Amino acid sequence: MAYPYVSDREVRVLSKYFGDPMQRRVDTYVERGGYQALKKAFEMGQDAVIDEVKASGLRGRGGAGFPAGLKWSFMPKQPTKPHYLLCNADESEPGTFKDRELLRWDPHQVIEGVLIASYAIRAKQAYIYCRGEFFETTQILAKALEDAYEKGYVGKDIMGSGNDIDITVHVGGGAYICGEETGLMNSLEGRRGQPRVKPPFPAAVGAFGMPSTVNNVETLSAVPHIVTHGGQWYRQWGTEKSPGTKLFCVSGHVNKPGNYELPLGFPLMDLINDVCGGMKDGKALKAVIPGGSSVPILDAQECADCNLDYEGVQTAGSMLGCASVIVMDEDTDIVKQVRRMVQFYAHESCGQCTPCREGSAWMLQILKRIEEGRGTEEDLQTMLDMSRQMTGTTICVLSDSVGAPVVSSINKFKDEYLALIRRGERVGVA
Amino acid sequence: MSDVPFKNPGWAGNTGEYDLTEDQVRGDEFVGTRPIEGGHPSGSASYPYMLPDKDPEAPLFEGPYKDRFEKILTRYPNKQAALLPTLGLAQEVRGHVSPHTMDGVAELLGLSPAYVRGVATFYTMYNKRPVGRFLIQVCTNISCNLCGADDVMGAFLRYTDTELGETSEDGYFTVVEAECLAACGFPTCVQINSRYYENVTPADVPKIVEHLKAEGAGGD
Repeated sequence: MAYPYVSDREVRVLSKYFGDPMQRRVDTYVERGGYQALKKAFEMGQDAVIDEVKASGLRGRGGAGFPAGLKWSFMPKQPTKPHYLLCNADESEPGTFKDRELLRWDPHQVIEGVLIASYAIRAKQAYIYCRGEFFETTQILAKALEDAYEKGYVGKDIMGSGNDIDITVHVGGGAYICGEETGLMNSLEGRRGQPRVKPPFPAAVGAFGMPSTVNNVETLSAVPHIVTHGGQWYRQWGTEKSPGTKLFCVSGHVNKPGNYELPLGFPLMDLINDVCGGMKDGKALKAVIPGGSSVPILDAQECADCNLDYEGVQTAGSMLGCASVIVMDEDTDIVKQVRRMVQFYAHESCGQCTPCREGSAWMLQILKRIEEGRGTEEDLQTMLDMSRQMTGTTICVLSDSVGAPVVSSINKFKDEYLALIRRGERVGVA
Repeated sequence: MSDVPFKNPGWAGNTGEYDLTEDQVRGDEFVGTRPIEGGHPSGSASYPYMLPDKDPEAPLFEGPYKDRFEKILTRYPNKQAALLPTLGLAQEVRGHVSPHTMDGVAELLGLSPAYVRGVATFYTMYNKRPVGRFLIQVCTNISCNLCGADDVMGAFLRYTDTELGETSEDGYFTVVEAECLAACGFPTCVQINSRYYENVTPADVPKIVEHLKAEGAGGD
């Protein structure tokens, strides 16, 4: 059940035990069938596990949507060096709050997923990289992990299978960019969390220079279910290209914000009007950011027939990202919210690449100027030009993320910018 | 409203669709129960807490803190990888990470002071200068912002009588702006030391501040 609200349109696979504090206990988890998928995986063998996850079509839930099974298959089959599995729990994309719920309500589900993935990619050590701010959440995870060690589900000779897998909880220091997989690896190694140039890809040269795989918390949480029931079972939900269920993080101006687990392809307007109880105070919808602050804004018209799967959102003109649906009503000051997002990126830019470091800071200055009524109409063109120069020109996509809200808001809500700019002119004349 | 309004005025459990106490939502059975020496090494880095009591001269490290530090070291293929957890541990005992502290951490891990300086200053959670007993981090990013985070921030500054980023005269409060805390469905989210306060409205702020003042010496 998604927490803190429930909808009868949900399909509760990963979120089945949200809101049930007993689920955090290892005994309860085992009574409810926990760690049986791990046992089954050991019996199936590594390649069969990878094939099953491939068959499920599970796509990475951290934002990029890359097929998880395919990613695992890039890892060497005959290890000559240590392999590492890295679970990305550095949840920090504005609008996203699903991994925290997965970790604090069902930590063993995450641990089991980490174990199965580690086994599949032949890793004997896994790290769960938790963002530093998650003091409370991380301790729930750490205690659960300790319990799992005690019961023999983690560590040496797991359940008498002869397999050794260690898991370590790692804590970050508060940097958005460490959620980028190569930034995460640098941070894990005790460096600044600056992304690395790819190639080499992590499966060849990853953490500590060894073959590594980075998976999101939600991706790994789905794995035990897929191993238990099979890849075809998982495909009963969602679309051909985006199978399965997904946690949708809904925030902003709706009556019932929260996480809802729904089949991919779910209509956006049903999510807002039905699942989330409609717009707050009965106001009209103005815009939606469907996938976290890094994706283009959709206006109300584009939302009307947008289906929430990777392809559907792309058709509507944006990206599903990590399915962080930020809903804005008719009274929202778009320019202010875009400025706030750009402020975030300017703060979080790691500083390696010039277009991003300089571009995000300049963009913020221009937006502040416009917000204060001192902008000019040329500023809009300047920002569009800058966005183009900031897209696809840097090591990672943080720079592209600055452009997404700026370009889409100028294209779709130009009147709001112009109103501020022209009012500014009048103030100047007076 | 919760029965303990000062704790978390609008904690997200009371939506009417769940019958949960605040402790159950927070997982108090799990949070804060692990020993200072770190418990099982797999989770030794799951600290640090941010504590009200800070001793900038505390040793790096002694007693149970030394045990925890050594457990952390066992989990990585090299010492450098323990840098972030170690900086966190140093901040837990000292309250902030001064250049002096960074040098100490460098020595412990066999790294150069310049390298540690470069890494520590990259991350926002390591306080580069002393903070008050209560570090109040108000999320003002988009989801909270849409639901009035700027007003919550204003209320915290007013009731703690301090400027953004500064520490109040009584040494109790430092109020800073935080980037998204991953609690977007529970706006406004405020992190005070280690604890999340969710669904905070400007009207809740005086109660929270009064509570923290009253807790004073022992508050979490």
